[in-house]
Amino acid sequence: MKFIDTSQNLRARLGTIQIIAFLVLGLLGARLYYLQIVRGDELKKRAEEQRIRLLPIPAPRGAIIDRTGKIVFVGSRQTYNIILSREDLKGKNLETLISDYANGLNLDEQFLRERFEQIKTQPAFESVLVKENASQSDIIWVDAHSYEHPELRVELQPQRTYPANGFLSHVLGYVGEISKEQLEDPRYKNLKPGDIIGLKGLEAYYDEYLRGIDGYRKVIVDSRGRIQQEIEVIPPQAGQDLITTIDSDMQLKAEEALDNSATKRGVIVLMDPNNGEILSMASSPKFDPNLFSQRISTKEGRKEYAALILDKDRPLYNRAIQGRYYPGSTWKIPMSIEGLMQGHITVEKSNLVCGGGITVGNKFTRCMGSHGSPPLGYAITKSCDGYYYRLGIKMDAEGYEKLVEDFEFNKKTGIDLSGELNNHYPSREYKKKRFPKEPDWRQIDNVYASIGQVHDEVTPLALLRSIAAIAIGGKMYVPHLMKEFKPVHAIGEDTESEDYRKPRDGFVFQRQEPKVISFTPAMHKLIIDGMWGVVNGGGTAGSAFPKWENFEVAGKTGTAQVAALGRDCGERCRDHAWFVAFAPARTPEIASVALIENSGFGGRNAAPATRIVYEAYYNRKMGIQPDTTSNGQFAASNAKKQGNRQ
Amino acid sequence: MAAVLDRRITRDFDWILVLLAVGIVIFGTMQIRNAQPTEIYWQKQLIGLGIALVAMAIISFTDYRRLIQFAPAFYVFGLILLFLVLTPLGVKVNGQQAWVKLPVIGQFQPSEFVKIPTVLMLVWHFGRVRTGTLTLKETLIGGCILALPVGLIMLEPDAGQALTYFPILAVVLFLSSIKIRYVLALLLIGIITVPLAYTLGVKTGKIKPYQQKRIEAILDPENADPRGYGYHTIQSIVTVGKGGLTGAKGEDEYSQSRLKFLPEPHTDFIFAVTAENTGFIGCALLLLAYGLLLSRLVTDARRSPDRSGMLVIMAVVGGLIFSIFVNIGMALGILPVIGVPLPLMSAGLSSILSTFIAIGFAVSVQLRRFVN
Repeated sequence: MKFIDTSQNLRARLGTIQIIAFLVLGLLGARLYYLQIVRGDELKKRAEEQRIRLLPIPAPRGAIIDRTGKIVFVGSRQTYNIILSREDLKGKNLETLISDYANGLNLDEQFLRERFEQIKTQPAFESVLVKENASQSDIIWVDAHSYEHPELRVELQPQRTYPANGFLSHVLGYVGEISKEQLEDPRYKNLKPGDIIGLKGLEAYYDEYLRGIDGYRKVIVDSRGRIQQEIEVIPPQAGQDLITTIDSDMQLKAEEALDNSATKRGVIVLMDPNNGEILSMASSPKFDPNLFSQRISTKEGRKEYAALILDKDRPLYNRAIQGRYYPGSTWKIPMSIEGLMQGHITVEKSNLVCGGGITVGNKFTRCMGSHGSPPLGYAITKSCDGYYYRLGIKMDAEGYEKLVEDFEFNKKTGIDLSGELNNHYPSREYKKKRFPKEPDWRQIDNVYASIGQVHDEVTPLALLRSIAAIAIGGKMYVPHLMKEFKPVHAIGEDTESEDYRKPRDGFVFQRQEPKVISFTPAMHKLIIDGMWGVVNGGGTAGSAFPKWENFEVAGKTGTAQVAALGRDCGERCRDHAWFVAFAPARTPEIASVALIENSGFGGRNAAPATRIVYEAYYNRKMGIQPDTTSNGQFAASNAKKQGNRQ
Repeated sequence: MAAVLDRRITRDFDWILVLLAVGIVIFGTMQIRNAQPTEIYWQKQLIGLGIALVAMAIISFTDYRRLIQFAPAFYVFGLILLFLVLTPLGVKVNGQQAWVKLPVIGQFQPSEFVKIPTVLMLVWHFGRVRTGTLTLKETLIGGCILALPVGLIMLEPDAGQALTYFPILAVVLFLSSIKIRYVLALLLIGIITVPLAYTLGVKTGKIKPYQQKRIEAILDPENADPRGYGYHTIQSIVTVGKGGLTGAKGEDEYSQSRLKFLPEPHTDFIFAVTAENTGFIGCALLLLAYGLLLSRLVTDARRSPDRSGMLVIMAVVGGLIFSIFVNIGMALGILPVIGVPLPLMSAGLSSILSTFIAIGFAVSVQLRRFVN
């Protein structure tokens, strides 16, 4: 110290300041050590997490193809989606965004509000779908507004394309965005909101095979979420292609037949009775599955959907497996074989009295004609109710229960479609559950149940299954639509890698051994003769079919009463018309069920519809040129064009 | 005479001090370049260093006692500059009117420079040979000297810069025979009243919610709103931590500043950039360099020929310690986010120039330690 200053211990004070300087630097050093050495790895990871994003590359779903493997019913085409990255929403006024997007991208404000709600409830996911199937002008809008809205991104997305005009719609089903509930389902454990899954039909049933595994782009983003660089790309693995059992020609004809039917409401199913393959399954009215895969997020799409839901004709439901109808006189076919099997009648002596009806208690239930005391074949051909009333009384509840057991009317058929309903069936136990006010099985129940009323209420497919089994002599197959799944190759080479996708093997339908219902060839012949007579022997479907060479049709009409007798409630209370059939009668190749709702008598309505399909089948089999004026051809070429996978 | 002068210059010129300071600036320029490689901040910083060295040389070879004599004139000039900031000549950046644009000279930040006249003014007042303990009157005058520039800076408003003035007065008072019991009492009162004032401030609404959020973000940055007020603090902590022991290597492209996660990387958060790039080793060396620099200044103060020389240097030391602590403390998440530049490291001509002028005074004092 060069100067004298006695008034203060200056040296010590200078020293104090120096010590404070060292303490401050020491404290900073200690904190630095804590952050960089103690927590270095953790913070390094955090820095990485905030700059690396995985942008999914959606995998194309497997195509759905006809039985020949040539016609693609459902494929995917490339479209663009507009995605919202939640990272960059911070501090933005959502209401302003909503009105901006609604104007710029032509979206429904309510829909956007729901989307933003979704962001709040699912914080774990970083992007949300704002608009599917974006148009060129939408993409331009997003590009032009990248400064105000860096949170928006355009993404390539394969979009499901279904045939026009609702062709095969109930079988194909449709895809859509996974719901919040489904996300919790272990079936969908690797999926995230916004992912597309099969929701109905084959799309839903075989979703796990049809669905591919998304790939992703690993990119580096800045603090505003803008992509700076791509680090790596893991390509998506496509889903497996599904070869169905559907015969495109027959499906077209079946749909055409329904379109031309009296009420345009009904169902036609065509099956190979020898293995259970469904050749066609048409339910009318149809719907356009493209609504769900392409338009559901637009204003118009939502309106269209609301209209579908409210439509009294219920176009969304597949009448073949979700419609339950009284089988009417078609029920007499399983009744007949059971009567023989249970010994209430025999091949040699199958006659029962018709009596023009029957009196049970003080109530008379009539037959449509007076058939004397007909043998079984004649009773089938003429559909004699009186015969079956008496057979039903002989069988009684136990007999019915055996019938139900044999033909599995107490179960679903097990077809590979979701949403199949169970039948209502005659049985003591089931009656207690179904009619708790009149729980006991009475004589009159035997009468009603014998002609397919009151207690019997079956899906067209369940009825077809039983008829097909009888047609081929007792083997009852499970109907199915899947024929084969094609293999898909692996993605990546390093099998140890997290990003390796195993190859997916192809496989064919694993057919179970059919259930065998044992009856003698003589019994079989008796029934077939009766059914042959219905079509060819002056029976109830007498004029519906020509006599095709080597392709004689056997069948049974049915007229199912909808309303209680004497009640008039207009068109929707008219009887449903049924026709079950197979051909050729002695060596069946195809079996079918047709139902035209509220159209009246089966022989006049359902049988001609069936004929349209059989005729096409016969002509093709015989090499006869089909009628080219049919508008079905247009739909077929349309299906081919639209369905091409890219 | 010239030979004597030359010999004395080479002997008494504080090369260590100047080399340390220049070294830190060059290291800082590298970090500025890391932070903003596409901008010209780092080139500007080098030009600033050149200008600052010239200014330092001029101050060094001027007798500091003469400069202190003119302190009131400098002081008034400084106050005028601060006043100009508030006139239409002032320039607003980030909501703060802290800059002034003058013809020929260009744009600069007076609050950085006015520290020097303020120091000189305080020394002018407290620098005479002391005969007794600090009087109340002296203290009040010292307070007034400080209050004028601080008041003008608060009008900008720039609370961070205003804060850096207080340690200058504190050091001057401490070295002007203030009774230790007053210092201890003041510390005690501070420890008690600061939390109390905070609580009261929050309750009465005197502390605005955004200020409160910033303080909360410091008390618990991990749980503070990571997208809001805690964002800067958390990003700074992440940036520092990412550096690890030796710095994040080979990923300059993805640095926190390049990806814009770290705000103001070349100025307020230059330390976080340094930490990311050079790791614990680089940062510890930087802290060591600051330690040496401060020690060197204190040594110079000890050797100074008179009280005013000692006071000038120590006032500078006080300002530097405070700025270093507040800036690095902010980058390390132990202090709230306040816009105080890191001396010699942060980009900015005003900051580097004023720091070198301050160092120039220390050199000047050294050069005259055997005179008289």
